[in-house]
Amino acid sequence: MKRRRQRWQHAMLLALAALYSLFPIYFITVQSLKTAEEDVFGNPLYVVNPTFVNYTELFEGAEARVRGYVIVPRVPFLLWVLNSVTILLATIAVTLVAGVLAAYALGRLQPPGWRWWRRVLFASYVVPHTILFIPLYQVIVKLGLDDNHLALILIYSTMALPFCVWILSAYYRHLPREIEDSALVEGATPATAFLRIMLPMSRNVLVAAGLFTIGTIGNDFMLASIFLLDPEKQTVAAGLGVMDVSLEELLAVAGVNLAAIPVVAVCAAFARRYVQGLTAAMLEGA
Amino acid sequence: MAVARNERRGLSLSARRATRRRREVARAYALMTPALVLVLGVLAYPLAWEVWVSLTNFSSRAEGAPVWVGLANYRKMVHETEFWRGVATTVFYFATTTVAKLAVGVPMALLLARPSRGRAVVFLAVFLPWAYPGGVTVVAWYWMLNPPLITSYSVFIGDLKHAVDVVFGGGAYTFLSVMLFNIWRGGSFTAVFLLAGLNAIPTELFDYARLETRSAWQRFWRVTVPLLKPYMALAVFLSFTTAFADLANVWMLTGGRIIFPVLGTYAYWLGIRNGQFAEAAAYSLSLVPLLAIALFLLFRWFDPPQEEPE
Repeated sequence: MKRRRQRWQHAMLLALAALYSLFPIYFITVQSLKTAEEDVFGNPLYVVNPTFVNYTELFEGAEARVRGYVIVPRVPFLLWVLNSVTILLATIAVTLVAGVLAAYALGRLQPPGWRWWRRVLFASYVVPHTILFIPLYQVIVKLGLDDNHLALILIYSTMALPFCVWILSAYYRHLPREIEDSALVEGATPATAFLRIMLPMSRNVLVAAGLFTIGTIGNDFMLASIFLLDPEKQTVAAGLGVMDVSLEELLAVAGVNLAAIPVVAVCAAFARRYVQGLTAAMLEGA
Repeated sequence: MAVARNERRGLSLSARRATRRRREVARAYALMTPALVLVLGVLAYPLAWEVWVSLTNFSSRAEGAPVWVGLANYRKMVHETEFWRGVATTVFYFATTTVAKLAVGVPMALLLARPSRGRAVVFLAVFLPWAYPGGVTVVAWYWMLNPPLITSYSVFIGDLKHAVDVVFGGGAYTFLSVMLFNIWRGGSFTAVFLLAGLNAIPTELFDYARLETRSAWQRFWRVTVPLLKPYMALAVFLSFTTAFADLANVWMLTGGRIIFPVLGTYAYWLGIRNGQFAEAAAYSLSLVPLLAIALFLLFRWFDPPQEEPE
């Protein structure tokens, strides 16, 4: 009897957690499916006559049009998606390559003072890039990278690197040394031993680092809208962000939801590995 | 082969080990270079620039080259009531959201750690708030809680807003709505992160705890919390900057319509809107002592120096 009640309690709590997590997304999605009439007179919690106008609008091309009394801003959505994907993939690549190299150095080769190097790198995570952007902009202009995707890729990489180096180096540090040594005895160079054995072993940690990068970048729209002014070069976040959200917030919500689908799919596919990777890095101390 | 040759040359074992170590250290520095160049390259100059500018009278209104004024900006700043209000708001914002994130994240992590039916689905649901692109959802959220136009629920929200603002002062509701978003997103991250932490703790420890303690409540405070502490510290650390980014996003989009500015957004306002770059830099840098204290405490919790003597 008691056990059964406990099971019920547990199930209820799980349902509550799911409801709490999903409700805001459900809520904004419902609003984005409404017609203007229903937006005003309908029930906020559900939609009676769903319309996909806000979604199809995103693909109507680059002309500004008038709908009712509202001027629909130009939204080259597909282009923005393409830009976002390019920047995201490049950032993940730069972050993981630089991160793995540094993590191997810090976790395995351990040069003098590695503990402090590791802390300094990690501490740089708390620097809010958003308040540094006047001098950041100077750097970017000096490098000739304004209105260039490369600027964002560089900045985004530095935002995700500290955490990635931290977990990867924690993992490499705790990996038994015999694993590498046995490969070296077989005649492999340190580089091949690393690439063939240690790197594949750390793939879950790499997944964790990659997903963390996605989450970190997905949160930014400020840097994107500052460094990419050309509407043809903007990312989804920057493009929708600088739009006049007060008039067309439903369009923006629709855009976010649409852009979120692939991101959520990737995250769902890798969520389990994300946790496994974090756990692997955390074993024997953070 | 190599060993034989070295022995013929008469190198002792320790000398050989020393050369190998030296080569290893050189390789380590070479491998660290890309990451260090990236991080320092992007951050070092901007930080130095902020420090320098905060010591001058640089502004978009002043004519001629910026003049060195020493600590004048800081001296002026600490006499400003706006500044202390900003400090109080910043500390309040971080403290409240952090506690709330842990209050949401720890129970959800414990819930998901226990095997049960439907756990996989709920886990994905809990993962979603963090995975959902936050940059614009924060705006969507903001507009949802503060509907700009007449929508079906704006009367209800209006009443709520009025009630909150009457109790806590004008602007409290908008501030609260950004906080809610931050807690929702950060709590999800904390939950998943702590779930990973729980998995890393040997289950025997919990089994012993079951025998040694009388109630679940006692077990939670005496065993689970101390074991999770390093991971909680890490999670708190990681939610620092995202908290700031959320605020900055809304602040920028709404033209500073949040009445309670935190230090960072206030600095942004001074710098970008008013062109008072020097004051803005001083305000931004006033965050440094706060961050340094937080870092010092957190490193002590999640990167204890005594493990593994070198």
